[in-house]
Amino acid sequence: MPETQVQSGAGGVIYDLGYRGYDGPRLGRAQIVRALTWHSFRSAFGIGRGVKGKVVPVLVLIALCLPALVNAFVVARGGQRLFGYDVYTPGLRVALVTIFIAAQAPELVSRDLRSRVLPLYFCRPLRRGDYPLAKYLALTGALLIVIEVPLLILYVGTIASARGGSAVWAQTRALIPGLGVGLMWAVLFAAIGLVLASLTGRRAYSTGIVAISCALTFFLSLLLIQAEGGTSATATGARVGGLFSPFTILDGVRVWLGGDPHTGLVADPGRYGPLYGVLAVLVLAACLGGLAARYRKVAQS
Amino acid sequence: MPSIIETTALIETTALIETTALTKVYPGAVTALDSLTVTVGPGVTGLVGANGAGKSTLIKILLGLVPPTKGRAKVLGRDCQTSGETIRTLLGYMPEHDCLPPDVTATEFVTHLGRISGLPPTVAKERAAESLRHVGLHEERYRLIGTYSTGMKQRVKLAQALVGAPRLMLLDEPTNGLDPAGRTAMLELIGRIGSEFGISIVVASHLLGEIERICDHLVVIDGGRLLRADSITSFTQASQVLAVEVEEGLARLQAELAARGLPAVPDQGRTLLVPLGGDDTYDVVRDCVAALALPLCRLEQRRHQVEELFREQEVPHA
Repeated sequence: MPETQVQSGAGGVIYDLGYRGYDGPRLGRAQIVRALTWHSFRSAFGIGRGVKGKVVPVLVLIALCLPALVNAFVVARGGQRLFGYDVYTPGLRVALVTIFIAAQAPELVSRDLRSRVLPLYFCRPLRRGDYPLAKYLALTGALLIVIEVPLLILYVGTIASARGGSAVWAQTRALIPGLGVGLMWAVLFAAIGLVLASLTGRRAYSTGIVAISCALTFFLSLLLIQAEGGTSATATGARVGGLFSPFTILDGVRVWLGGDPHTGLVADPGRYGPLYGVLAVLVLAACLGGLAARYRKVAQS
Repeated sequence: MPSIIETTALIETTALIETTALTKVYPGAVTALDSLTVTVGPGVTGLVGANGAGKSTLIKILLGLVPPTKGRAKVLGRDCQTSGETIRTLLGYMPEHDCLPPDVTATEFVTHLGRISGLPPTVAKERAAESLRHVGLHEERYRLIGTYSTGMKQRVKLAQALVGAPRLMLLDEPTNGLDPAGRTAMLELIGRIGSEFGISIVVASHLLGEIERICDHLVVIDGGRLLRADSITSFTQASQVLAVEVEEGLARLQAELAARGLPAVPDQGRTLLVPLGGDDTYDVVRDCVAALALPLCRLEQRRHQVEELFREQEVPHA
């Protein structure tokens, strides 16, 4: 190993140590996946990117939190809680979650496809499935923040004015299924967003694909339900109308599991409830399978 | 994960890369590698072949990314199919094509890939800064990669291969897209990494004349088959010729040499090129010239570039 001394002014000495290897500990695969997940999670909120990268996630989060802040104000003045925890501002949430995944799923996957960075990941000690796994965990986590933080604000804002332990307990019991619904949304929409965004490295296209798929299917289901008599109808058409969009599928699952059928996006699915549950699982499995298959192909090319 | 002592021992005792009858047939019956058996030892090894000769396929198999159709490949004593992860911990890979995101700084990018190579956070940061310094990027490393010249991008690609402290580096066409000065600088850098940093290197290139300058060994493949693998000195020995210049009687001398078993070919002017086998070649030439009583002007030993040895084989692919 070359070690040269260069005499510099004022009696100092600069040591050029040359190249040094590294014999210290290395992280295992699980820790590498965790590092990649954390890195991707941060970039889902534009951290480590320029100002432009932060605009959409920050605006979406603020927009979703605003109703909860208004609620805190109303409750403090003696009013009732404005929104259910499980159906928190349904229309707004559909729109903002669509915007979030349409903007941020391409940020996580299309960028790497576009700049062809993937060979640099796959030539490192990762397995083929590790990259999409890390991206999926990261986007799920980011969606959890976007969806659950407003619910927590709604909860805190409500119990701040609650009188007595039983009132707090009632709020807590209402919150838990709400958090569960949020988890379902995060788990499913992270998969949908990533599999659609990973189809192309062109950012604008993948954003378009995600946004249009989510919006079109949602309006299709809404139209079907409306055509069959709306969310309070009991006709078979209205009951199964929600099966055509992931948003309404999850809302059907919510009602099937005991949620209030009169506040959400869909009509009471009744005996078709299990169909909603099965379809939700199938859509999730198809998206995750598609994502894994996509990256198996990419890793070899 | 192997201990460092264990891996070091492996390098000293075994060949770095060993393939046995390695065959890769892609769907559509495209044969990229055809029963390739080759051994690569320490030092800088050139992997040479025309475009489509199978260089990149070989590298992907060595990285454990593509399974071979038949045969086996071992890197650092481990099987590529079963120990891909361990092998990839010890390898640095520089792909042929562009692979850099434009919207991050070189420091951030190389640090991130250092983490993915399994380095702890602070080590990744230190090594990223050092790797970038070694490839000659100093203050520029805080700029976005999108603002870099092609030469600087190639350096970042080299730095990301170096950041994980590899034992062996696989460089796929590292001089791609560079101007002559950039090529020379890149080759010098690779030569320095091989000789001073103590990292063994496999450089794939279709430009033999270029990489022979920095290689200790050459592996030449063509159409997925091994053409020749040897040390660079034996290649250059084989390429030595004797230039014989006579004032007249060139054709007669050529016929006489051929009669004595030396296939001479005319060069420019009044010069014949005779393959130099050993000292007795000089004697044969002297005897021929004396027998024909030709006026001899010059008898000179020349060294061909290795490339000329393979010019004939490469022509069909050009």
